[in-house]
Amino acid sequence: MWTIPKPNYSSGLCAEGEIVVNIGGVRVVLCGDVLNRYPDSRLAELLKCSTQDHEVISSLCDDFDPGRKEFYFDRDSDAFKCIIDVYYFDEIHIKRGICPICFIKEMEFWKIDPSVLDECCKSYLSEKEEELKEIANKVKIILEDLEVDQCITRAQRCQRFLWRLMEKPGSSLPARFIAIASFLSVLVSAVVMCVGTIPELQVTDAEGKQVEHPVLEAIETACMSWFTAEYLLRLASSPNKLHFALSIMNIIDFMAIIPFYVVLSLTYLGTTSMMELANVQQAVQALRIMRIARIFKLARHSSGLQTLTYALKRSLKELGLLLMYMGVGIFVFSALAYTMEQSHPETLFRSIPQSFWWAIITMTTVGYGDIYPKTTLGKCNAAVSFLCGVIAIALPIHPIINNFVVFYNKQKVLETAAKHEVELMELKAGGGARRKSRN
Amino acid sequence: MFASLLLEPKVTMEKSLAELNKTASRSTSSLPPEPVDILRSKSCFRRVRLNVGGLPHEVLWRTLDRLPRTRLGKLRDCNTHESLMEVCDDYNLEENEYFFDRHPGAFTSILNFYRTGKLHMMEEMCALSFSQELDYWGIDEIYLESCCQARYHQKKEQMNEELKREADNLKDREGEEFDNTCCAEKRKKLWDLLEKPSSSVAAKILAIISILFIVLSTIALSLNTLPELQDTDEFGQSTDNPQLAHVEAVCIAWFTMEYLLRFLSSPNKWKFFKGPLNVIDLLAILPYYVTIFLTESNKSVLQFQNVRRVVQIFRIMRILRILKLARHSTGLQSLGFTLRRSYNELGLLILFLAMGIMIFSSLVFFAEKDEEDTKFKSIPASFWWATITMTTVGYGDIYPKTLLGKIVGGLCCIAGVLVIALPIPIIVNNFSEFYKEQKRQEKALKRREALERAKRNGSIVSMNLKEAFARSAELMDVVVEKSDRPHDNHLSPSRWKWTPKRAASETSSNRSFNAQELGSPSKARATSPQRLNVQKLEEMYNQMAKTQSQPNLNAKERGSRVGKHRDEIELGAIQDHGPPVLGTREGVGDMKSLSSIDSYISCATDFQENPRFTHGPAMDLGPQESNRFSHSPASGLSLHGSTKTGQQTSRENEPMLNPVSATKPSYSENARKFFFSGNSSKTLTPKVSYRSEGESGLSPLSDSSVLSDNSLLSPEVSVYTTASSRTPPKSPESTSLAPTVFTFHDSSISKYIDADTDDDEHLRDVSDTSPSERLLTGSSPKRSINTNYQKGINHLEAAQKMLGQNCLFPIEGIRGMAHENHVGPELGRRSKVERGRQNTLDKGL
Repeated sequence: MWTIPKPNYSSGLCAEGEIVVNIGGVRVVLCGDVLNRYPDSRLAELLKCSTQDHEVISSLCDDFDPGRKEFYFDRDSDAFKCIIDVYYFDEIHIKRGICPICFIKEMEFWKIDPSVLDECCKSYLSEKEEELKEIANKVKIILEDLEVDQCITRAQRCQRFLWRLMEKPGSSLPARFIAIASFLSVLVSAVVMCVGTIPELQVTDAEGKQVEHPVLEAIETACMSWFTAEYLLRLASSPNKLHFALSIMNIIDFMAIIPFYVVLSLTYLGTTSMMELANVQQAVQALRIMRIARIFKLARHSSGLQTLTYALKRSLKELGLLLMYMGVGIFVFSALAYTMEQSHPETLFRSIPQSFWWAIITMTTVGYGDIYPKTTLGKCNAAVSFLCGVIAIALPIHPIINNFVVFYNKQKVLETAAKHEVELMELKAGGGARRKSRN
Repeated sequence: MFASLLLEPKVTMEKSLAELNKTASRSTSSLPPEPVDILRSKSCFRRVRLNVGGLPHEVLWRTLDRLPRTRLGKLRDCNTHESLMEVCDDYNLEENEYFFDRHPGAFTSILNFYRTGKLHMMEEMCALSFSQELDYWGIDEIYLESCCQARYHQKKEQMNEELKREADNLKDREGEEFDNTCCAEKRKKLWDLLEKPSSSVAAKILAIISILFIVLSTIALSLNTLPELQDTDEFGQSTDNPQLAHVEAVCIAWFTMEYLLRFLSSPNKWKFFKGPLNVIDLLAILPYYVTIFLTESNKSVLQFQNVRRVVQIFRIMRILRILKLARHSTGLQSLGFTLRRSYNELGLLILFLAMGIMIFSSLVFFAEKDEEDTKFKSIPASFWWATITMTTVGYGDIYPKTLLGKIVGGLCCIAGVLVIALPIPIIVNNFSEFYKEQKRQEKALKRREALERAKRNGSIVSMNLKEAFARSAELMDVVVEKSDRPHDNHLSPSRWKWTPKRAASETSSNRSFNAQELGSPSKARATSPQRLNVQKLEEMYNQMAKTQSQPNLNAKERGSRVGKHRDEIELGAIQDHGPPVLGTREGVGDMKSLSSIDSYISCATDFQENPRFTHGPAMDLGPQESNRFSHSPASGLSLHGSTKTGQQTSRENEPMLNPVSATKPSYSENARKFFFSGNSSKTLTPKVSYRSEGESGLSPLSDSSVLSDNSLLSPEVSVYTTASSRTPPKSPESTSLAPTVFTFHDSSISKYIDADTDDDEHLRDVSDTSPSERLLTGSSPKRSINTNYQKGINHLEAAQKMLGQNCLFPIEGIRGMAHENHVGPELGRRSKVERGRQNTLDKGL
């Protein structure tokens, strides 16, 4: 049913003898000199050993029929059909449909170096391996959660408990409450920050300055203390302090807290007149912007946002491309618009840097209408720049979107996969006795 | 007299067996080989050849032992013919080969699981069919490696979701039963007219009129607000134009009428009230009446501002009527569904936007704060700017002026484009998927309706049912005519195996989906829509069959019954006299081997008509079980009907029952067999009904698929019965009539359910007890011969049936009647082929 292409040079007769192998029911006759091209492989070793040496033979193959001189291997014949190609063509292609991980295992059995796998199939393999690695990571996390009472000392157990309370909202009811409270406090503090800037809600202090409403300030302080407590608890309970401090989420947390304390200390310094008051005020103003960072704290509670950051991280190249396209477009079209609008006496394009703004607004199809061309040529230029802008944005955005979608879908699948993996591990740990059939 | 009756068939039996003996072919082993032989063969070879669906595999026994509780693992422990036949579909001891009639593609990965301990899934394999294969081979899907796990579960979830939706759909359709209240017929017509625009031309016209009214009323609503067309009332406030008010009133009257008619004709009032489309309808009507109520009752207080405001709000709510268009557009419906389904992604989109707005508005606020007469007065005030910029609308009423502000603005534009673009493809994907599905379902619905209409007219028996019907007609003829020519037993061995085989493949292809769904006992409880559908169809068929039964044929049958009765009594008698047939034992074995060869041929011929479908005992369980659930009432009815025709009819049933009821003792003592004995006893009732239907004489006309399925099953059942029953049948046990049948049936149900819910621990325990007993029974020659002989008889019976059909159908052309044009040609063709084959065989003999 399956014939090997005859090597051209041997003209029908093999110099180093033939061996008959039976792989899972498929009989194949193989030429010795062909097999010797890969002397380390299992088949070549089989060729070398004498038929009398039963010890060696049984170590190499599963069964030997001395009558027919047939070596039996209890392996997958489909995969073997692909693997045997290496002796003839020096490369292996994975047959469509065979799981690459499974195929690699077969290659290991036949003692063939995985590097002979052809490029086109390698990408497929690496894709799978990556996925496996991700699943393994998830499994590790789940397993870490599972091992609770591994710690010996009381302090350690306490720390572990606290860690689970703060970091794993799914582990217990109090942990979930804490997560919800933290989420709400983020929202409240963000709202307070926004509302605080409304002039109607501001009060004038003794020096005639507009400052925030005291109620809002109280809320702000409460939220800040909550954030601080949260951060400190997390830091205290984390098993690896350095790792904790350097992770992105915690940097964001830190950034959200620190402006508050800096402002506090600065105003304290300012009131005790150790620093110039004007400087303090400026610094406080600058630090106010830092409060925006607290919005990013929401990312901790939304897997979608994490996916977004991951997708953006993955598609930095495409983002660069997008910015480059936009930059080139902005330069070209603002320069064109500037020169074309020069003829108009009341032009809004006074300089090229000023028309940058116009170019951005036009290319992203926002179009405020604060600057617009007035000459015919300028209008034509505007139309072209608008079209180019649409294309320049649409083209690089597609891979980014793709990354996002793929990652988003994968995230959903990985959850279940990891769970099943854990179950499988449990089952296997239970031993063969618990292997059961359901028929 | 009894003795003479006894003689004839026995002679024919022996003759045929002898004939067979002459043509004994390659296999020299006797039919059920002795356990010793099996053991010897197993110990001879270290390896075993597994033939799965035609693809040979070779594997070490040692490898199979790694999973001793799976199907392949059990193969090792099987030492008797019966147990082997339970595990595999066929085997050959000389070649050391075991045949499984399963999909070969999946088996490679399953065998690899034994070899490597890692279960991977073929890429192109459908997840559902793979899970079935896993069920068949007795492997838990949890062993699937994580690299394939993800894909597997994703697909399976998807499939489950689809099935659920389809089931819901079907439930909706089945909910439309108009049997409980008055004027059911009229109401059904009205309902169809109003709810199903595709059902008739009038309904379509009605739908178009409805759309026109919706459009008209919305146009009127918009025109109403034009200042030129407005009037002023006594308070100096502008009110509706009187002409437009008339238009409005007419439209509302139409809507109201439509709603009320729908409500009246709806089969389930509460469900109708809850339906989203009907809620929209109600919302479109109500504001008008509320407005009228408010203005009429409070004319004096209308000058109060708050009443006026309420009225205004209700006027605005009138615009909801545009949503009524959703009823007439699948696109709008799928949009609604998509939004409902992807609320997760929508939430993500809104979250992204909200965060972007927050960040950029606060940034631009700090950048623009110190500008002269800036419009960015506070962060909430700049929210508007951020929204307009991020969505790239850009009104230009508020824009940054400082350099920093402009930089922030530029970033905001780009970020907005990105952030909005990201989650939208997921939503779009959901939408397109759902839209496609919707389209598909619409088509399927149309097809199903056309099919049902056609069936109601009785003009077609479509698709697979045609096959089933043809078969049922054949077999019914056989039953009726068999008794007329008891001597014509040309035992063509090909038929023996062939009949059950084909029957099995027939039923499975007939409801291939059903079988898939119910393939494993654990899944059997899941309500699959197809199953419901089949059930419905069959009930319909049953009714048809009942109404079409022609009593005048009865007379004819009665005449022929005497012979048949005799025939069957003889069968029982022979079984009691086991030893005399000892000499034919070898011949029986040959029959077996011959038939196993021919089964391949017959399989090949089957493929012309039936899509290939792999089946095994476990798979057959599915349809049979559904049979039981769906048909038992129907068959009970038909049996009841037949008992009315006379005592004789029911007495007819008892000899036939013999082999089946004989399973009862073996059942209890050999619980390992409960699968098959459960099967056989379960299908007992259908069989009875089939016979009695045949008795009442509606043979070719009763094209119920129930009948066909049951009759098709019966040969197979008989094989299983003989495989499991070792005690000779005792006719006294079944002398009681229909009641016995029913009680037995009930008990079999409960038994079956037991078997079903038992986990395999129990199964294991039970099966552990059996081998010794099996050996015991197997070693006693008498018993084994008994089973042999019984089997032979069953085969004989099947062959007789087939023969009767072959020879008699053309002659009995009268019987073709209304259905002849559909079944006749096909039947004729097949019978010709069969006769041809039989001729060659006869020559060989």
